Amino acid sequence: MAEDASRISAAAGIEPVLEAKGLSQGQIVRKRFLGHSGAIIGLIVFAFIFVLAFTSVGYLGIPGWWKYTHTQVSPLVNGGEPTSSLWPLAWGEHPFGQDRIGRDLFAMTMRGAQQSITIMIVIGLIAGLIGVVVGAISGYFRGWAEAILMRLTDVIIIIPALLLAAVMAQLAGRRDQGSWFASFASTNGVLALGIFLGLISWVALARLMRGEFLSLREREFVDAARISGASNARIIFKHILPNAVGVLIVNVTLTMSAAILTETALSYLGVGVKAPDTSLGLLISQNQQAFATRPWLFWFPGLFIVLICLSINFIGDGLRDAFDPRQKKFNAKKAKDHGGPAVQASAATGLDRPEPEEFRPDGPGHDGPWHDGPSDGTRDQ
Amino acid sequence: MRLGRISKAVGVAAAAAIALSACAGNSGGTTPTTAAAASKQGGSATVVEVNAFNTFNPNTADGNTDINSKVSYATHSGFFYIDNKLNVVRNEKFGKMEKVSDDPLTVKYTINDGVKWSDGTPVTAADLVLQWAAFSGYYNDADADGKTGTSYFSYAGDPTGIALTDFPELGDDGRSMTLKYSKPFADWEIAIGGPGIDIPAHVLAKKAGLADTKAFIDLLKGMPRGDSKAPKPANAQLKAMSDLWNTGFDTKTLPADPSLYLSNGPFIVKSVNQDQSLTMVKNKDYNWGPEAQLDEITVRYIGEAPAQVQALKNGEADIIAPQASADTVEQLKALESQGVKVDVGNQLAYDHIDLNYSGPFAEKNVREAFMKAVPRTDIVDKIVKKLDPNAAPLDSQLFVPDQAPYAESAKNNGSSAYQGVDIEGAKKLLNGATPEVRIMYNKDNPNRVDAYSLISESATKAGFKIVDGGLGKSDWGKALGDGSYDATIFGWSNSGVGVSGVPQIFKSGNDSNFNQFSNPEADKLMDELIVTTDKSKQDGLVAQIDKMIWDSAYGLPLFQSVGVDAYSDRITGVKYMPNQTGVWWNFWEWAQK
Amino acid sequence: MVTYIFRRLVTAALILLGASYFVYLLTAASGDPLEEFRANPSPQKQQLMDARTELLQLDTPAPLRYFKWFGGAVQCLVPFANSCDLGKNIAGQPITEALGNALIQTLTLVTAATVLAILIGITLGIITALRQYSTLDYGVTFMAFLFFSLPIFWVAVLLKEFGAIGFNNFLRNPDVPLPAALGIGVVVGAVTAVAAGGPMRRRLLAGAVAFAFVTAVLIYFSATEWFKTPGLGPVVIAIAGAGIAFAVTLLSAGLKNRKALQSALIAVGVGVVLYFLLQPLLNEATFVMIVVLAIAFVLIGMGIGYLMGGYDRGQSMRAAAITSFLVGFLILLDRYMQAWPSYFNNSRVRGRPIATIGASTPNIQGDFWVLGLDSFTHLILPTLALILISLASYTRFTRASMLEIMNMDYIRTARAKGLSERTVIMRHAFRNALIPIATIVAFDIGALIGGAVITETVFSVRGMGFLFLDGIAHVDPNPVMGVFICVAITAMVFNLIADLAYSALDPRVRVKA
Repeated sequence: MAEDASRISAAAGIEPVLEAKGLSQGQIVRKRFLGHSGAIIGLIVFAFIFVLAFTSVGYLGIPGWWKYTHTQVSPLVNGGEPTSSLWPLAWGEHPFGQDRIGRDLFAMTMRGAQQSITIMIVIGLIAGLIGVVVGAISGYFRGWAEAILMRLTDVIIIIPALLLAAVMAQLAGRRDQGSWFASFASTNGVLALGIFLGLISWVALARLMRGEFLSLREREFVDAARISGASNARIIFKHILPNAVGVLIVNVTLTMSAAILTETALSYLGVGVKAPDTSLGLLISQNQQAFATRPWLFWFPGLFIVLICLSINFIGDGLRDAFDPRQKKFNAKKAKDHGGPAVQASAATGLDRPEPEEFRPDGPGHDGPWHDGPSDGTRDQ
Repeated sequence: MRLGRISKAVGVAAAAAIALSACAGNSGGTTPTTAAAASKQGGSATVVEVNAFNTFNPNTADGNTDINSKVSYATHSGFFYIDNKLNVVRNEKFGKMEKVSDDPLTVKYTINDGVKWSDGTPVTAADLVLQWAAFSGYYNDADADGKTGTSYFSYAGDPTGIALTDFPELGDDGRSMTLKYSKPFADWEIAIGGPGIDIPAHVLAKKAGLADTKAFIDLLKGMPRGDSKAPKPANAQLKAMSDLWNTGFDTKTLPADPSLYLSNGPFIVKSVNQDQSLTMVKNKDYNWGPEAQLDEITVRYIGEAPAQVQALKNGEADIIAPQASADTVEQLKALESQGVKVDVGNQLAYDHIDLNYSGPFAEKNVREAFMKAVPRTDIVDKIVKKLDPNAAPLDSQLFVPDQAPYAESAKNNGSSAYQGVDIEGAKKLLNGATPEVRIMYNKDNPNRVDAYSLISESATKAGFKIVDGGLGKSDWGKALGDGSYDATIFGWSNSGVGVSGVPQIFKSGNDSNFNQFSNPEADKLMDELIVTTDKSKQDGLVAQIDKMIWDSAYGLPLFQSVGVDAYSDRITGVKYMPNQTGVWWNFWEWAQK
Repeated sequence: MVTYIFRRLVTAALILLGASYFVYLLTAASGDPLEEFRANPSPQKQQLMDARTELLQLDTPAPLRYFKWFGGAVQCLVPFANSCDLGKNIAGQPITEALGNALIQTLTLVTAATVLAILIGITLGIITALRQYSTLDYGVTFMAFLFFSLPIFWVAVLLKEFGAIGFNNFLRNPDVPLPAALGIGVVVGAVTAVAAGGPMRRRLLAGAVAFAFVTAVLIYFSATEWFKTPGLGPVVIAIAGAGIAFAVTLLSAGLKNRKALQSALIAVGVGVVLYFLLQPLLNEATFVMIVVLAIAFVLIGMGIGYLMGGYDRGQSMRAAAITSFLVGFLILLDRYMQAWPSYFNNSRVRGRPIATIGASTPNIQGDFWVLGLDSFTHLILPTLALILISLASYTRFTRASMLEIMNMDYIRTARAKGLSERTVIMRHAFRNALIPIATIVAFDIGALIGGAVITETVFSVRGMGFLFLDGIAHVDPNPVMGVFICVAITAMVFNLIADLAYSALDPRVRVKA
């Protein structure tokens, strides 16, 4: 895809892509991404939440600047209602209020955001890593490796995430009976949940990566590399992977935003993160009964879920636009104004890469990050 | 949830202990109360339940979900029912149940003439015999592993009492039966014959190929008591009947054969919409007991409390009893302006923290110090006060506030030393030590989690090092008593108020004595207690045991669980009931405005 | 082709075998089936545990127990033997029976939601692609992401509070105060202005017209208590039908095709006449009759188009048939509205029609229309909730697909040929953009059966999701396996269909035997 980017031309309805002149792929992507206002706002919001969450209540033993922690009980102020106000602008003792036994909701929300973000990142890393490896091996080497790996993904894709999470929750609920895994899971519940979900959410990515590899390995530049004696590893890492990185990043982002919602849903069903630790999903599901009576318990964590999810989605959207040279600013009105036939067919070739002339038994590798395969249950969550 | 029958028995056990005016010994029989005259006859109500109906026989191990028991309760009648003060109320219109002699304990049951099933067949002693055979497990001769012999009726309840009887003596008119107990049995009143005679013997007999109920009685009469040491080949006909009893009534839809859902009570099931709803209509023939005001009761199934509240608010449900939480109650209270009535009351269960008599708690000083650091008032204020403004810490291990001896016992048992948090006192007792304490609780129960948080917060101040030993809902129960923790927070669902429950929990070496409390003197008192039939003597003994438990720094009871029910302004006559029968206990008094 | 399908089916069977073994073990390992008895001090404790152990065959280790289950499940493959045995659940109900009921519940819940989400999602996706980076595009993107980000139980609670309880309260006295009418008008006007596109003047005009129209209609409704006795009547049907005729012709044939427009308008006229003729018949309606009538309306439309002829007979027929069908739908809608008062005042409904739970009012009695309305009032909220959260995927996917297509060479060529924008979009771009979407749709239909676990929980629908969840809660593998098998098989079959459809629709993709 990379080399295509420089050949982008100004065609009817397509704004001239001046940015492409003499710039590297990275530069183009950065420029396009920075031009995507939704993505920039998303990035700022996410960065803000990230910093707020990780500095305020401390992380991994490092103390934070906020006066309470998520487990600390303090006397109820104001009946637990939020003390912050917009006018006069004031922060107060418990800006987001307190729960029924007096824990500070701000601290809990921040802790929840930490955990949710941790889960999200762990899932992104693990799913990305496994997805790339499996996709690369099966797409590049084909043959029996592909057959085995793809059947494996078929098996995993039809196993319900909910069931796995239930087993996970069961293990995390045990303390020191059972295996090393159980003891790890019980002390690092959140991390374990993230790893577990990561271990099942790589399948969609693997399929996509395989699709990318299948098509890229047939390209001339790969042939050229092979002829010049490059090893398989070199071809994979130096030649193919950089070209597939766009698809990868975009889909990892979107897997991550879906992961937050999955965590929320699992916590709602009682198989996610367990109290007294907390996550955003757990907070709102614990407090859903308070929806009408103590709404702050419900709205603040909910707000953070929506903000994180929205910002990640917008970042992903921006990345997609930035990485995909085929998606240019198309403007139907301009196309019409040009009078239709006004095509400057200067170098408009090489853009429309046909789909590989091969049938993918596991379905076409469309880049639909929204669609994570049949039975993963994220759609509903 | 699947404890319907058992908890009912437990509730009654509670009744036996609660010294209320007309307590169990009074066999005069209170006449059933009649509904308020103001409300008119007829109309309908929709009641919300959590679980879906799945069998017409609520006595089996697989069938004793609360909903099945409730439907059975509304469609069958018997010699007694239990009211919301946990009294046993006799239904003399159905028949007479009388204690003929005390030694040996002999009880005679006589069913009135005219009491009949909805197919017109009279309810006879055969139906009682069937219930006796099923509840007593008389014919079972299976050994413990189930390898040899036969287990006929798979009864979920407690057979210990009724198993003390031999094959009953039957009256000539076919309407009476006399049971003789080989040992005194305190709960004889509720052992059999109510609140519903639910399975018709004539149907079972017919389906098993027997000519009539007489053949049925002859068959049972001819069979000896089962002996697991000398198992006999299974009796084919009894096996056929017990199989039918065990699973033949399981259904999620209305059976095509009406004999599978015969009624002898105020209502009869009219339609069952699988996993959606169940509708009962008035049994036209019924006149042998309290008569219903409503023409129709519909049961709908809603799992979650918020959904139940919203259904009530939207008029889709008339009566709900959601799981109580402060928010649910507050939400319901907010509906009072729309005419919704809310009843909040205690349940027969309480939460408590128990300390092991070993590990860091081997020394009494440490236990006492810990108990001083438990913020009981704070826990009650924050967890149950919003539900029930009158809630206070529970001050007795054996009585609940509804019981008369509670106040006296609470005053003398030494609980007064643990009223407020006494961090200084605790520190003094600890004398600079910082014992590490692992507290085990059910992580999936928010009340327990919050109680843990509060206790841990406060005990840390006193110098304890608290380790979070919370386990998931599928593991904490298994961990009870396994020594992997030093203290545990959990609830006794049987409220510990029944006399027979006391030794279960507190006697040395018993199964449910998880923290290994052991006091020879208390053991002796408990042995005395279970053979004592005089209520006031029982109370005296229990109070003594209570004091011994407190004196040994056993742990602390925290609070009694709270239940709530709410009903719309269309309906009158709903009253709160602490046991598992819930609002259903007086369904005949429900009326539409 | 046949070898390919055969190979796929064999692999699928093997995958299913492996996965089902894994799922069985996982379920068995997911908890303690005897948990509810552990803290029970009853002397019956052991007996209850034994009974449960026997019921779930806990004395057989899970890896072996699977084969017992498998022995029963395999019999399901024997056709007509009726010996299918998937075991029983804790309540003693055979799983096959429980599945049958749950499947119906789930399908009634999710079918309408999925179909509508697909239709609306694709429409929005195409519109936003055509107006990339417009306010409308940003607005739709934002809303889609927002709804996607909302936890569904949240959406459900809010919908119940406002959509059911609030709306029912409103219906008790359906009176729209003037400020509210104006407010709604302003909102609709603003949305219209944004959506309209084109120069500012045109947008403002569209917005103003929408504002005036909506406000006026609301005031009229309020004054005539329309919400209590709703209905369209022949006049509204005629006017709306004319609008439909223009819109359908615009999209399917272009307004320049006079014959097509005339056919469509005639179809509307015929429809209005039929409105009067059909009323007595509709009083006796059954489901089959409605289907027959729907087919009849399409045929009538085609007939009109055929008779009108024109230079492109096919186009006329299509325009008239679609118009006729939609007018028929309006007549149906009107008839449902006529039944509204009798439903509203039904003694079971008691004037609170929109339901928060379940799939129907228990024991409701009435004719076809009342029962139809009853299903509608029960399904509307869960359907809405499901549409809101699943809209994002279809919208975004269609948008991406459409954008890709719009930049293709052949689109440029089509424009260069001088084809109208309508032809370019509807004929060249839209159809090709649908190819990848078709495969997603196939996947989603496969996933439909799995149910919407949380939606079912919140709306108290006991469908597949509930069965699955309940099985996990009780550590009872049988219902879990039942649901899993159903979901996996449909998913795999639809996967296959999706792949075959892809190769059929896109000639560049070949099935490799």
